[in-house]
Amino acid sequence: MATTLERVKNVTAELLKIDVATIKEDSRFVEDLGAESIQSIELVAAFDEEFDIEMDEDEALAVRNVSDAVTFIDRYIQG
Amino acid sequence: MSEKKYFPLSKENISALIVNGCHAQNWSKVSVPRDFDPARIRNCTFAGAVEIGKQSGDIVLIDGRRKVCGIYNSTLENVTVGENCFLSNVSVGLTNLIIESGVVIENAGEIACFGESTFGNGHAVTALNEGGGRELKICEKTSAQLAYLTIFYRDNKQLIDRLNYIADEFCAQIKNNRATIGCDTQIKNCQKIINVRIGKNAILDGVLSLKNGTIDSSVEAATFVGSGVIAENFIFQKGASVDEGALISSSLIGEACKVGKQASIENSVLFANSEAFHSELCSVFGGPYTVTHHRSTLLIAGYFSFFNAGSATNQSNHMYKLGPVHQGILERGCKTGSSSYLLWPARVGAFSVVLGKHYTSFDTTNFPFSYLSDEAGKSYIIPAMNYFTTGTFRDGFKWPVRDKRINKNKLDQINFEILSPYTAQKIINGREILMDLYESSEKGQPFVVLKGIHIKRLLLKSCARYYQLILDKYFGDLIIKRAERRNISSLTGLFTDAKNGANAADEFWVDICGMLCRKSRIDEFSSAVAAGKIQSLEQINAEIQKIYMAYEDDEWDWFLASYNKMYKCELFEEQSENILTFMEQWQKSSLKLLNMVTGDAKKEFEGPVKTGFGIDGNQEADFENVRGIFEENSFKIQLEKERELVNSQFENIAKLIAQG
Repeated sequence: MATTLERVKNVTAELLKIDVATIKEDSRFVEDLGAESIQSIELVAAFDEEFDIEMDEDEALAVRNVSDAVTFIDRYIQG
Repeated sequence: MSEKKYFPLSKENISALIVNGCHAQNWSKVSVPRDFDPARIRNCTFAGAVEIGKQSGDIVLIDGRRKVCGIYNSTLENVTVGENCFLSNVSVGLTNLIIESGVVIENAGEIACFGESTFGNGHAVTALNEGGGRELKICEKTSAQLAYLTIFYRDNKQLIDRLNYIADEFCAQIKNNRATIGCDTQIKNCQKIINVRIGKNAILDGVLSLKNGTIDSSVEAATFVGSGVIAENFIFQKGASVDEGALISSSLIGEACKVGKQASIENSVLFANSEAFHSELCSVFGGPYTVTHHRSTLLIAGYFSFFNAGSATNQSNHMYKLGPVHQGILERGCKTGSSSYLLWPARVGAFSVVLGKHYTSFDTTNFPFSYLSDEAGKSYIIPAMNYFTTGTFRDGFKWPVRDKRINKNKLDQINFEILSPYTAQKIINGREILMDLYESSEKGQPFVVLKGIHIKRLLLKSCARYYQLILDKYFGDLIIKRAERRNISSLTGLFTDAKNGANAADEFWVDICGMLCRKSRIDEFSSAVAAGKIQSLEQINAEIQKIYMAYEDDEWDWFLASYNKMYKCELFEEQSENILTFMEQWQKSSLKLLNMVTGDAKKEFEGPVKTGFGIDGNQEADFENVRGIFEENSFKIQLEKERELVNSQFENIAKLIAQG
């Protein structure tokens, strides 16, 4: 089964229309992966759907890179 | 019987005037007061009936120069001149005028009134729909609300007929074959002013040409018309400034508006605190705070209010079929990004941001606070997102502070609230629509289409949640506001005058060009107008003001009824612990929203925004020295204070709830 990191990378790649191989753990969504302001909202929604969770909006939008997103999502998955 | 003020000139006075270089077609038609001083009239020509008030002492001009009161080097024909004026070098002449006391006219060409005139009052302006059908007869007392009803409520013919009749009646009172220049007005270096009525204390400096208009002005709110202005068929309301080569035709410029830098305005109305520089406006219905500052911006055939136009904003109202007959609506608080384009007809929900180019006719009225963008020629919307942005938050602070109207009896009634029953009703509708779409859409479906606009399926549920967050905040805000404004210290006190008004939740709220109110109040008002019970512009404005004054109580009634509808219980019958839980949710939502706005503001200090800083050196140091650091940013500090305020308000309301 895919890890949270792999799933985060896949969702990010699909939404931002980039090659999943270019996404690293320390990749920043805006600076490195080119996410526009509007896409950050979409990313949060996409992670919500992928992991069947409802992340806290303000905290989720404050997450800046892939690794932090994984940690943040794991908190929800683990309850 | 009024005391006779003017008497025929004595022989001595005529002789003295002739010695002073004066001429008259008929000296017997020149009349003066008993204590007339002919030394103060030099090199003048008189024709027709001329009355000259007592000229004595000096007068101070707005540029600080002091002049000896009198009339010099000018031609006067059928003119009454009040006391202590300074009229000098009016080369072509002053014709058919009533010049009140303290007026200064220096170095002007022609100021005249020819034939009977209503001075721009009653001129029909084809606002909103360039093709016509929504004409507004502009008058100096036309308010934003009156304009809204006249322009939009064409489904009520009786109302429109009566409003037009009332405008005609007003014009009949105004009609005159002499134009008045009000007390203490100063006119300098102006070329041509024909059939223009000017109020008190106005300042006209360097005007090129004014024809058929009214410049309303008062002691406390002087109106300014400056260099190079050309205007025809116009009304300028109190405190307006029209300057720097503005070209105005068939338009009303409202209270405290600013127009300049060669803005071109035609068949448009702009209400309180609007600003137009550089831009072109054609058939624009600009409600309060309609702002356009850029040269390449065209606003056409649209309704705007609390609006900010990005550079090169553009719309089309013409499909080369039946002429320019399309129209558009941007509800209050919208912004358009640089080079944005909208194909009319379209309707954009309140407080939305329009980015990109939009070629479909969409209606997003039920999605306030949205981002509209384009992707591969299709229009997309992200509902709710604009509530969490720095811009909207700042606007909420900015607009009331920037109300420049200092005149008494303001014409336009303005509610500045970002959240109100008007926006909340739309949020409730929007949330329901989003959830319905979410439930009916398939996973894997990239987007849904609603009324011409695409919404990414992924966002449906999230945006519905965001809307709920906003509602939670608004409802709690109302309880806090009610308790604070009425200095209430117990729950019982809060609900003293609460009504069991479930119907009020379903009452439709409207934004009448800046004034938020229940539609039923407008219906009552419209019926009274149609029935002839309201008969003048003054009465219309007074009745509209009454509706405005009812906002706070109507909002509270709406909230109580909406709470009942949503939670199936009257708020005032709730257990105090339930109300506490409700307010805890308010605190949580408010803090969450502040965090999101803070997050948005922080983006202005990190990442790509630093691009180009430190061009040949240290980027961080250059950025910090130019933009400062986020922690010290005034807006960030303001948000911190808001956070503290939310927490202290919660403590206070919790105490109030505890007291029962």
